[in-house]
Amino acid sequence: MADLALVAEPVKRFNPWPAVIFIALGVLALLFLAPTAGVLLSSIKTTRDIALGQLWTIPSQLFWGNYAEVLANPAVHRYFLNTLLVTAPATVASIALGSLAGYVFAKLPFRGSNLLFLVIVSGMFFPPQVILIPLFRLFNALDLIDTLYPIVIIHTAMGIPICTLLMRNFFATVPNALREAAILEGANEWQVLTRVALPLSLPALAVLATLQFTWIWNDFLWPLIFTQSDEKRTIMLGIVNLQGQYSVAWGVQGALSLIASLPTLVVFLFFQRYFIKGMTMGAVKG
Amino acid sequence: MAELSLHGVSKSFGSVLAVDGVDLGIAHGEFVVLVGPSGCGKSTLLRMISGLEGASAGRILIGGRDVTNVAPAKRGVAMVFQSYALFPHMTAAQNIGFGLRLARVPKAEIARRVAEVAETLQIEPLLGRYPRELSGGQRQRVAIGRSIIRDPQVFLFDEPLSNLDAALRVRMRLEIARLRDRLDATMVYVTHDQTEAMTLADRIVVLNHGRIEQVGPPEELYDTPANRFVAGFIGAPAMNFIDAAIEAGEGGEPQVRFGPVSLPTGRAHDVAPGPVTLGVRPEHLYIATENEADFRGRVEIVEKLGSESLAYLQTNFSAEPVTIKLAEHPALHPGDELPVRVARERFHLFEETGAVL
Repeated sequence: MADLALVAEPVKRFNPWPAVIFIALGVLALLFLAPTAGVLLSSIKTTRDIALGQLWTIPSQLFWGNYAEVLANPAVHRYFLNTLLVTAPATVASIALGSLAGYVFAKLPFRGSNLLFLVIVSGMFFPPQVILIPLFRLFNALDLIDTLYPIVIIHTAMGIPICTLLMRNFFATVPNALREAAILEGANEWQVLTRVALPLSLPALAVLATLQFTWIWNDFLWPLIFTQSDEKRTIMLGIVNLQGQYSVAWGVQGALSLIASLPTLVVFLFFQRYFIKGMTMGAVKG
Repeated sequence: MAELSLHGVSKSFGSVLAVDGVDLGIAHGEFVVLVGPSGCGKSTLLRMISGLEGASAGRILIGGRDVTNVAPAKRGVAMVFQSYALFPHMTAAQNIGFGLRLARVPKAEIARRVAEVAETLQIEPLLGRYPRELSGGQRQRVAIGRSIIRDPQVFLFDEPLSNLDAALRVRMRLEIARLRDRLDATMVYVTHDQTEAMTLADRIVVLNHGRIEQVGPPEELYDTPANRFVAGFIGAPAMNFIDAAIEAGEGGEPQVRFGPVSLPTGRAHDVAPGPVTLGVRPEHLYIATENEADFRGRVEIVEKLGSESLAYLQTNFSAEPVTIKLAEHPALHPGDELPVRVARERFHLFEETGAVL
């Protein structure tokens, strides 16, 4: 017992850093959430309440009229459909092409393939504004202005670098012995890709599907440039269009903003499990 | 009949010649083991037979058919990889039946053949499991199952037991030996493990720098190595090599001399005087009486291996310690002086070029 008594309890010194980091992160989270909260609050208030400047107050009663108005508006249905017609094919096409290119760079290298890979990946750092006018003139010459095709094509092309980079790096982690075993079993390269490499790359595919879907769905620039009529507008342009002749319909815009962000949220939640796994892939052994 | 023949097969990677003009004939049903140090070209040679690696020169024939430029899947070969190479997203049954599914074999037929293979390998309870749920030995059994289901003409094994622990390796070695008897197929097996080579092989091919050093049954390579490389590579612990010289002894009989020791060469043919290397295996050195001893050595280290012990002796004629194999637990301690005798008729003499005399 005497020995035990001699062993002094280690003095626990207060470490302020976890608390500081927690508070800093909390403040940042609030700053990020504040606009969303503002939009949410404005979406459940009447135009009169908003006009009275009570943006940040909790409404005495919930007003669902803005949501009802948005959901009943046929133009909004069209915006959603147009956005889906752009986002789905562009997401699928960019991931498909990125997967094909990534597989070749990872598993079938050829002379100069590393250089070509760098050239493709460098497309990620290319400012879209630089090619805006040439592309407009190109699609104008092809008589594709005010159609959804240019937006699909551009998003597919601009998605290829990130898709190629991620898929190439993921495929590189798939052991060569698996490809060789499949080939010895009678598989051709397409079957190796579709039956072995891609099923093993679900985390990377989920990450890309989430990123591409969100980026294309939320895009404002390209639809603004290539569409002119209201029939071809996507949802992000639709939010801006939903305003009165003499006033801004804050409540309706807020409601549409929240409804417009739901698909990306659903996609993220759907792929969440793979997404987290994909973001941390290769971080630890095994 | 699935005899395999290689005619002047070479492979270069840029300026590096990995396999250099290999000629080899393997009979139907024969189990041939390729051994050699790392980088000797044994795995490259196996991959060329499989078709995963193209040959830079030469021809490969399987069952009399030239398959040098034939796609891997159409050569009638199956390969078992060191890393098992099981598809992680497929169950054991799906892994085994993968090739048949690609070949669009009806599902019922696949299920029947998978069950048949599983019974042969005694892995029926594992068929529904994923590779991550299997132990190393079970994974290797599934990999073997995948290779035998297509009934190939030639089996290729690329160090299949290297990733297993020692006990499991012994068990799997036995299983492969049984498989060999059961399948009556031609097998080519790459390993760096001498025990695997010696116990499994009908013939061993010793490779070095992409060339064949010697081909023969295990006991032939052990008893009569063609050169110093094979002598040093086959046998564990490795053969002792001692710098020596051939001298004319009394009566004209050539003697091999190293340090103060002089032994009759015992060779029937004339051996020209000059420097040679004497090779003697640790198991061919004995502790003798003072009268019979050829030399004395001071014990440096004793390694007790259970069924036997190895003693490393310092001598006055070799910079390297001389290894001697002893019975179970000899009462030896570092510093002890031992009288040692060389077994006559069991030592080897090598020219300076390495060729056996």
